[in-house]
Amino acid sequence: MIRFIAKRLGSGLVVLFVVSALTFVLLYTSSGSIARNILGDQATPEQVALKEQELGLDQPLVTRYFAWLGDALSGNLSASWFTSEPVANSLATRIPVTMTMVFAAMILIAVCATLIGVAAAVKRGWVDRVVQVGAIVGDSIPGYVIGVLLVTVLAIQLGFFPATSTISPGVGPEAWVYSMTLPVIALLINGVTGGAQQIRSAVIKQLERDYVRTLRSRGITEREILFKHVLRSAAPAGLTVLSLQLIGMLGGVVIIEQIFALPGMGPLAVTATAQTDLPVVMGVVMYTVVVVIVVNLLVDILNGWLNPKVRVS
Amino acid sequence: MKLGPKAAVTALTLSTALAMTACGGAGGGTAGSASARPTATSLTLGANQDVRSWDPAQAHVGHALQPYQAVYDTLILREPNGKLSPMLATEWKYNDTNTKLTVDLRTDVTFSDGAKFDAEAAKANLDHFKKANGPQMAQLASVSDVAVVDADTIDINLSSAEPALEYFLSQAAGLMGSPTALGSEAIKTEPAGSGPYVMDKSASVKDSQTVFNAREGYWNKDLQKYQKMTFKILADLTARTNALVSGQVDATLLDPKNGKQAEGAKMKLATNQVDWSGLLLLDRDGTKNPALANVKVRQAINYAFDRKTILDQVMLGQGTPTSQPFGKDSGAWTEELENYYSYDPDKARQLLKESGFENNVTLEVPTLPGSETLISVLQQQLADVGITLKPGAAINNTFIADVAAQKYGAMFFNLFQGEPTVAIDQIVSTKALFNPFKNTTPELEEKIQAVRDGGDDAGKLAQEVNKYVVEQAWFAPLFRVNQMYYHNDKVNVTPQIQQAVPSIYNYSPAK
Repeated sequence: MIRFIAKRLGSGLVVLFVVSALTFVLLYTSSGSIARNILGDQATPEQVALKEQELGLDQPLVTRYFAWLGDALSGNLSASWFTSEPVANSLATRIPVTMTMVFAAMILIAVCATLIGVAAAVKRGWVDRVVQVGAIVGDSIPGYVIGVLLVTVLAIQLGFFPATSTISPGVGPEAWVYSMTLPVIALLINGVTGGAQQIRSAVIKQLERDYVRTLRSRGITEREILFKHVLRSAAPAGLTVLSLQLIGMLGGVVIIEQIFALPGMGPLAVTATAQTDLPVVMGVVMYTVVVVIVVNLLVDILNGWLNPKVRVS
Repeated sequence: MKLGPKAAVTALTLSTALAMTACGGAGGGTAGSASARPTATSLTLGANQDVRSWDPAQAHVGHALQPYQAVYDTLILREPNGKLSPMLATEWKYNDTNTKLTVDLRTDVTFSDGAKFDAEAAKANLDHFKKANGPQMAQLASVSDVAVVDADTIDINLSSAEPALEYFLSQAAGLMGSPTALGSEAIKTEPAGSGPYVMDKSASVKDSQTVFNAREGYWNKDLQKYQKMTFKILADLTARTNALVSGQVDATLLDPKNGKQAEGAKMKLATNQVDWSGLLLLDRDGTKNPALANVKVRQAINYAFDRKTILDQVMLGQGTPTSQPFGKDSGAWTEELENYYSYDPDKARQLLKESGFENNVTLEVPTLPGSETLISVLQQQLADVGITLKPGAAINNTFIADVAAQKYGAMFFNLFQGEPTVAIDQIVSTKALFNPFKNTTPELEEKIQAVRDGGDDAGKLAQEVNKYVVEQAWFAPLFRVNQMYYHNDKVNVTPQIQQAVPSIYNYSPAK
């Protein structure tokens, strides 16, 4: 197991390196005159040239990449061209906000989707039909539409929650809970309906397997069959779906954070991209790659733990 | 036994959940006053973006000037109607040739870090602004040097006359920072000025909110109307609307459509006109598009637009139709040019016929994001007179470089309407970004020079430049756009001339 984790971490580092190099080349060769963007429409060519020199844009691409890589390895990830703030600092204040939201949503999705999916698979009949229709409806409404609806009704009309985030230094956990409730609901509806559908299919498939019939014939209670055997075998499918949802959520969260003005990764990514603040964009890309690698690794480990059949050597 | 691993997974999941929540809570700091609703002594503004750097030389115009005013005083104060009044400068006077401005300074002002404001400090700021490569550095481009005359007087020497200099000293170029902090790394993240407020760094989070507290012993209590001022950064228009109607912010900038929602929630509108919208017919020598070299073609384009209907349909009537690019407050504006090109498709067709380009004019314009509907209406109205408008790829962040590189022969855009020389160097002179083909004539050059040398008459002299570019149809302006600045009833707001968001001095608690 340890060798497996080490191997996966090693390949993760290679992926990180390759992605960073590719992103760097793509960003730095297609972004037009960055100095001009920073200086605005009044700048003279001399001022633009001076700024390019300041930013090191007059250096060859390879030199710039290795300068960035050196900075990244030292933990700074270089500094924003616009604000001069080290990128690592920007990420450090924002990742907790985004990750709290994503993990809260994921945990709720895991619990709700499992309950609903299993109920649909076991009860079938009307429960199943409601879940099936719910999956289509839930999947077809984008999270940001749900977000806007929630704000209008629960925040503006009823005043139960703040319309935009109240998270700031010096506020207690209750401000976090209040500020995050609506965004988390907006994020999780798609996930729950989609996840429930997958878990339902996986459970139904297991319930039709021969080993379930054998267990039943030996007088083992339905409850025990479901919780001890079926769920365990169905877990890998559910876990894979959840991991994909988590990765997808890193994109969805960008818009949700804008709507709720949460100081997370979303606004940082949007502003940096719009301004062509390439060091910050690189930082955001690196963060995303790390999350994807870690989530995939965790899913593999969990899968192996839950189901010896898929355990890796 | 079999339940073991599953229970462990559950426990792990739960503990992760708790840990994450706990991290979140801890990350936010310890207990304190949560989002208390603003009282009469605190003001919360919804801002479109955070400042990039607190170095005063990095200040910009409009939205990007407002937060600097909280912490920095300017040499000259620009009142809401545009009148220039003393601030850190008590008096200022030009020499006979308008090439030297002598400025008398206050002697009783200190910066938040304890440094004293004097002639040396003012010189240090102006020198720093000139070389710091900030977004508004062009404001001091005509300044050759700054000389200290005595402890409270400086001479600003100019290489050529600049009628907008006094105005610039009320804007980014006039912001005065502590001379000991200028050029340091620290001032980028924590301002050091003499302004009415000081930044509360522990309560401020980059791109989320900036909090200011009233500065003890500030020299001008009339400009310090609040105990606390907060800028809440809300880049998203929907978020700004929601924050305003739910009472999280006291005032913010919206657009006509979102403004309807704010009006439904009894918010008040403090509107003024800052930008004009329309086509820039840039290729007037026909370098890329020979048809545009013909003045009759350019005039025909102007006659093709039913400006009032476009305004009503697309902008919900929020603006004023116009045929001139210069702003109403600039002094260059004239009544006779306002409807110079009234809607007349027959005349447009006639002009095209005379030009020899009948049914043979194609305009390619880049698509300005958010203006797709407007551009398609323009396309339709131009088609009615036989002109083809082809919307191209969306404008992106290489836009300024693209304009300068003569990529666009014509374009649809919204542009700021500034003081006469500001506007001239933005859209008319050969220095202007929005004159990429460097079109000019000796006649126009003469008119522009007259404005530059015009001193106090610059506005009036610029009417001639305005008239020239309107008659020659350099542009096809459509309308001046209303800025939809909304506020609640706890605050009084006076709009500021030529700014979409008011200066911070224009807010006061409602009685």
